[in-house]
Amino acid sequence: MSIKAFELVPTIERTKLLSDRAKTQIECIECCGKNLYIGTSDCFVVHYIVDEQHLPNGKTIYDSVKQGHKYLGLKKPVVQLKVASALNRIMVLCDNTLTMLNMFDLEPIVTGAKVKGVTAFCLNQNPISNNPFSVEICVALRKKLLQIYTVTEDRLNHVKDVATQDPPVTMSMDGTFVCAALSTQYSIVNYDTANSTDLFPYDSEAVKPFVQRISKEEFLLSGPSGLGMFVTTEGVSQRPPLQWSESVSSYCYVHPYIVALDSEFITVHSILDQQQKQSIPYQGGIYLDEYEGRVFIASLKEIYALVPIAWEKQVTSLLADRRVSEALALAKNAKKVGLTREQFQRMYRRLQQQAGFIEFAQQHFDECRELFKTGRLDVRELISLYPFLMPQRSSFTRSVPSLHDIADVRQLARNDATTIKTYKEFLMSYLEENKADAGKSNNCCMEIDTALLKLYAELDPSKLLMFIGKSVCKLSDCVELLEKHERFHALGLLYRYNGQHANALQVWKRLTNGEVTDVLFPGLEYVVQYLSSLSDHTLVWQYTDWIIQKDECLGVQIFTNRPANETPSDKLQPDNILDQLHRYPRAVITYLEYLVFQKKSQKEKYHTHLAVLYLDNVFKLLESSTSSKENIDRERCKLRHMLQTSNLYRVQLLLGKVKETDMYAESAILYGKLGDHDKAIRILVHKLKDFGQAENYCILNSKGKDSFHRKQLFHTLLSVYLDPSYERRDLLVTPAVNLLNNNQGNFDATKVLQLIPDNWSIGLLQSFLASTVRKHMHDFRTTRLQRMLSRGENLIVKKESIESQREALQLVEEKSCAVCDRSFDEPTFIRYPNGIITHTQCAKNKHVCPVTGKLFSTTKRTSAS
Amino acid sequence: MLVCAQLTCYIKSVNMSKKKADLKVFILGEANVGKTTLLYRYIEGVFQDQISTIGASFFLKQWGKRHVSLWDTAGEERFSGLSNLYCRGASAVIMAFDVTRPSSFHSLRSRFLPLVEYANHNCLVVVTATKVDLAKDTTPIITMAQGLEFTKTLNKELQLTTVPYFETSSKTGKDVTEVFEYVFRHCFPDENLHKKTPPVHIKSRSSTVDLETQSNDEETMKVGCC
Repeated sequence: MSIKAFELVPTIERTKLLSDRAKTQIECIECCGKNLYIGTSDCFVVHYIVDEQHLPNGKTIYDSVKQGHKYLGLKKPVVQLKVASALNRIMVLCDNTLTMLNMFDLEPIVTGAKVKGVTAFCLNQNPISNNPFSVEICVALRKKLLQIYTVTEDRLNHVKDVATQDPPVTMSMDGTFVCAALSTQYSIVNYDTANSTDLFPYDSEAVKPFVQRISKEEFLLSGPSGLGMFVTTEGVSQRPPLQWSESVSSYCYVHPYIVALDSEFITVHSILDQQQKQSIPYQGGIYLDEYEGRVFIASLKEIYALVPIAWEKQVTSLLADRRVSEALALAKNAKKVGLTREQFQRMYRRLQQQAGFIEFAQQHFDECRELFKTGRLDVRELISLYPFLMPQRSSFTRSVPSLHDIADVRQLARNDATTIKTYKEFLMSYLEENKADAGKSNNCCMEIDTALLKLYAELDPSKLLMFIGKSVCKLSDCVELLEKHERFHALGLLYRYNGQHANALQVWKRLTNGEVTDVLFPGLEYVVQYLSSLSDHTLVWQYTDWIIQKDECLGVQIFTNRPANETPSDKLQPDNILDQLHRYPRAVITYLEYLVFQKKSQKEKYHTHLAVLYLDNVFKLLESSTSSKENIDRERCKLRHMLQTSNLYRVQLLLGKVKETDMYAESAILYGKLGDHDKAIRILVHKLKDFGQAENYCILNSKGKDSFHRKQLFHTLLSVYLDPSYERRDLLVTPAVNLLNNNQGNFDATKVLQLIPDNWSIGLLQSFLASTVRKHMHDFRTTRLQRMLSRGENLIVKKESIESQREALQLVEEKSCAVCDRSFDEPTFIRYPNGIITHTQCAKNKHVCPVTGKLFSTTKRTSAS
Repeated sequence: MLVCAQLTCYIKSVNMSKKKADLKVFILGEANVGKTTLLYRYIEGVFQDQISTIGASFFLKQWGKRHVSLWDTAGEERFSGLSNLYCRGASAVIMAFDVTRPSSFHSLRSRFLPLVEYANHNCLVVVTATKVDLAKDTTPIITMAQGLEFTKTLNKELQLTTVPYFETSSKTGKDVTEVFEYVFRHCFPDENLHKKTPPVHIKSRSSTVDLETQSNDEETMKVGCC
């Protein structure tokens, strides 16, 4: 638990000090710069010059030379010494009297300023007044009184009296506050306002009261049971107490430590966590204090200095003891010593990194994760601890001096496989978390990715695949490793993302052929998908044969699933593809289907080719005896669908092939395509006897055409039904009658009647005839109605026309022709619809107004009257 | 002089590194009633036997954005003189007694109540009975009614909706968190621990409003143009 924060160095040895008088004992000490003063029990003040020397090995030694001494002549011990360096004075308390000496020659000052009846005094280290040539002190008198003085070179100026409840024993000052130990309790007094706050009582028999100012507005008091109580000027304790031994006699504060002296030890507590950090055996110590950052300890006969050990050393030794949090707390609180902010940052980060590695070695992963992160560790330091993770050609070298003494993880784990695994898992999660930051700041994405890839390959192949696409790792290294861990699919992906398609395909070929295995390999589909998007067409052709041999249907997807925005190339022209595929009929069919149905290719060649291939398929199936009926039906269905929907294939060619066989449905479609509906229907009716299909045919083929065409088709159908030359026509009577009775609207009744054999009974055709008559009747009546309505309309129009022209016109002498301007001498004249009147001979064109040139319609309103 | 300058630097850094707590809470009660254990249970979430506290100890707890200093005082008689140093400036006091030891309950009134005087005016006083897991029907225990009655008298001046009296067990964890949550909620009434909801709410609301106001603006602008 201990650290070495201080070293005890002898300053003034026993022999040197008291060579002359054997019974002289040190009573108190004071130090200012190089001047060290000792007050002795036999009323001497001794002055030494102390030189501090720092040896190259880091040690500090003191060299002391006696300057002089002064006997005060009172035969009483010198109780307290305080230097006021600004005044060149030393204040001495002896025989309850406070006097001043010159600090260099130790002569009393001329004015003889003194205070009597003093039990103790203290200097204000944080005075309110800013005068550099005066010092504020507080004096405890034997009466229940504290007095404040300002001290100048030759005077003690009384400022204020403060009464206390009990006689004060010892005290300390800060600002206007005096924290005093009275005979039974501690109390804080504000001498300005005379307000006092009681702190806590103490048992004067068990506790030696002591007050020490440790920082601005904060004091440290010795409390009951060896407690060091912190208290602010407001009477509040902001820190938990320190635990000392009960015999503590004096203590002081040297950041960040409280050094306390008891009868047997010097103990060092940290103010940061209130824990004891060091204890140095020291017998017979009587007094200890801090003088401008240095601590001196006096025993009865000698003086030692307590030299702080550089905090860097302390931190290093703490780290060496694996006390990480203490080391970091110490470093954090010692930051201001001669370092710029940046320097400190750098140093502190390095410490964090070192600390991180210490935690790492102990498998405290949460802690070291945090430390590495805040310490901004170059992750390569971490990666390099794991064997085989660094890329071979990485330029990285570990930092010098080394951050740690770990050889590698295997050594840490003592080759225990599970431990190594936890280490690797830690690295994996750490890298995942910090990939973005670390990669950027140290420019080592490659190392990180390579390491991650290797870790995934070993530990978590599922992440591996996701990761490969995003990584920038070192190819050569990874290939070897992935092969070692048999992550072949990942290897393929790695090649793929690195643009080495040939290698990638090679790997997948091996996987597909079963030469190697990898559970993550999704199978041939993946390769096909990959090829279908591969832009290197030569490579595509290299592997096409192999894949199509494996699976024709799948293989052809290489061509059918190509990205839409791919730049066309000769190698992938449909013709070329078809040429290459001709050995694989199923592939060809699939590809043609793709061209015809999906790409809607308009080339007759492909349509015909596809139709012929379908047909061949059907033929093949028909020939072989083993093929099932469903199979044949399915194939024929495809063929019929093709024949029906497409209009581009060469009908004649196919017809030629089909005609001779008994594939009537197909022939019917083909005849239909040729426009030879009679034949088509004949086949449907006679050969297939599928009357529904025949009617369907009529509807299908007349779709989008006028009703006349439809009528004709149905008529053809009917005539086929009733064809007297067909020997088994009696079978067709029922469909014929049904057709007539269901589709009456579409027949021309007269033609039908001509066709119907004489021997049919009226009853058979009753519904047809009735509806036909009804329809004709209806048509007749509708037509009549229309005619009448039209006539009515005509009358109305005529009436309007007459009304508009029936304006009375009086021809009198004054009126003259609008053209020749002469009067009318005959009763005939011409009136234009706009009211212009002319001679008959003057109206050259009766459709054009001779004055305005207005054109009157030639058909509707004739203008002549 | 140079040394002096460095010294002040040291002192500054100490003050700076010490986070100023927003709230001071301390816990009082007779020795061995389980004050430290209660705090430890709250901070660390586990039950662990504690050694007797010397003087005082302290935890810094972050609650939301606030820092709270939790002071644990020593219950032993010999330290009782020191407790007032820790009580000064406290906004809330937790008084703890051992439910199986009636004497520890009565001493709250006689010995510890005067200490509350040192704390802030209108300081919240929460009373917690500890070790309820041990309260079997064998030992005479303090009833809830007694506890509530006592607690009510302590907080007369505060307008409280519920009486801050809790029966806790550090061993089982019963009501331990509730004690501290009650204190923090009382002392930081404005603090909303679930800070996530309001911004979302404001955002969604403002976005719709924005759209409308924008369109309104456009309309008025058009009117202005005409």
